Amino acid sequence: MSGAVNDRRRINGPARSVEPIYTATVLDSVAKGRSDGRGLDHMRPIYAKAGPISDAQTTASASGSAFYEQGSIRISCAVYGPRSARKPNARRAHFVCDFQYAPFACSKRSPTQSTDEHETSLWLSNTVGPAIRLEMYPKSSIDAYVTVIESDGKMATLAATINCISLALADAGIEMYDTVAACSMGLRDSQWIVDCTHQENAECSVLVAYMPSVDEVTGVLQTGKTTLEVHEQGVQLCTNVCVRVYAVICRALQASVE
Amino acid sequence: MTSLILSPSEQDFITRGVEKGFRADGRGSLDRREVTLRTNMISQANGSARCRIGHLGLGTDVLVGIKAEVNTWTPGEPESLGSIVCNVECSPSAAQEFEGRGAEDLNVELTQTLDRMFNGPQSGIDMAKLCIIPKQAYWVLHVDALVLDVKGGIVDALVWATRAALLSTKLPRVVVESIADEDGNLQSEFDVVDDAEDQVAIEGVENLPLSVTFNQIGKRFVIDASEQEEAVTQASLTVAVSPQLEICAVQKGGFLRGFPPSLLSEIMQTARRVARDEFAKFKELYETAASNQMGDEPSTGSTFLGAF
Repeated sequence: MSGAVNDRRRINGPARSVEPIYTATVLDSVAKGRSDGRGLDHMRPIYAKAGPISDAQTTASASGSAFYEQGSIRISCAVYGPRSARKPNARRAHFVCDFQYAPFACSKRSPTQSTDEHETSLWLSNTVGPAIRLEMYPKSSIDAYVTVIESDGKMATLAATINCISLALADAGIEMYDTVAACSMGLRDSQWIVDCTHQENAECSVLVAYMPSVDEVTGVLQTGKTTLEVHEQGVQLCTNVCVRVYAVICRALQASVE
Repeated sequence: MTSLILSPSEQDFITRGVEKGFRADGRGSLDRREVTLRTNMISQANGSARCRIGHLGLGTDVLVGIKAEVNTWTPGEPESLGSIVCNVECSPSAAQEFEGRGAEDLNVELTQTLDRMFNGPQSGIDMAKLCIIPKQAYWVLHVDALVLDVKGGIVDALVWATRAALLSTKLPRVVVESIADEDGNLQSEFDVVDDAEDQVAIEGVENLPLSVTFNQIGKRFVIDASEQEEAVTQASLTVAVSPQLEICAVQKGGFLRGFPPSLLSEIMQTARRVARDEFAKFKELYETAASNQMGDEPSTGSTFLGAF
């Protein structure tokens, strides 16, 4: 599929190979229920673990790390920092997210980094950045390296990434105002459904990243068109679900300390 | 954006002014600077527009060119839809740090912002009408934006220019011939009519959105921040609104703080209100720009640069 890209870093497969085309499954209307039996406002089950790469047993040098699963979304994040930055005179820490899909993560194989990943990295810094007390670490840089091992639903993966990074940052002991919890919703048949999978292709999606203790929305993302009232309803519902996700992240952090 | 260094007292002055409703250039918090719009200046492109927000010499200047190309369908792509590909490039003439790879981050961010607003059904364009022959050929609209000058409010300038450019785009007419062969299958071929007079507009361009960017400074927000105001901005929210006042895209920028949900709600309401006026203003400017092309003005040099 990426035959046009001149990829010299790896031994490439045939230039004109494409993934097989599957006959599209026709989704039932929302009223008939979701394919995996979830309720409309149920998220996929979350498994979050803080510290798998930074435990004493491994030899890694990450300050903090987290592994996050949400249904079949699997994300791993490692945080390095605070460490000395290249810009020596900055009054605030330089927070950078490096977001990457594993080549086998999405339904289409993509071995080289796309602009999508680059922009997501920038967007993640903007979304998780407000939670960090950057002014406590002058002249330093905090780097979060995220690898999506498996993705299932673009917005849902983004939301899961934010949760994973928050967990890893907290595991690294970086001073924060609050952990950021995020969740996404899709609009189908004029109903908002929480946490859409790739199969539940929604024509309009909303993602909200929220800090419950400080009551601040650090990130809003909407794709697709909808009226203002429906949009507000979606954001409100999303914020409520974020509070539940927040509880899960906090519990994972507590478990890592015990 | 450009790294404008402001002293702490200047930052404080701007912040406190905004909180009391005063801005350095005397505007109200919901007032946009003057907008200048010109269309169809690039003869090689199917559509083009140049938008400047702010007055001559102190404004954000964006040039957008639309080129339509025919693409061959490959398995895996949607079978009967066209496509819009956006690309934003910040010219090094806009700021010194855009030289070389300095503008790469900004280019990527702006490209994805435009893509989120325009590539797909949410833009209002009938993507199905851009398909020439299903599973065979479709139109690709390349939206190439060049940022010539940055003085704050770049996303809005990009969206205004892109909307004007797409409105002014004329696609060559395509004639499709289908013949049934021996097995009863339909073989289709198309021909692009090479006549400058026989061109069609893109279906659905009247539904394209406009964007409003809100910058939060202190406890209040402003629209169309100048360079200085952007240097003091802690968080920003870009809202794209369609002429039917639907929300097409929402994106939050700025890594220093978030919005309380109540402020977020207030901003969204304001966005819809402001968008109503902005569409009226855009229509007026666009019609002036479109009518100016028919005059006896020379087509090079002075009108492009000087009179703009």
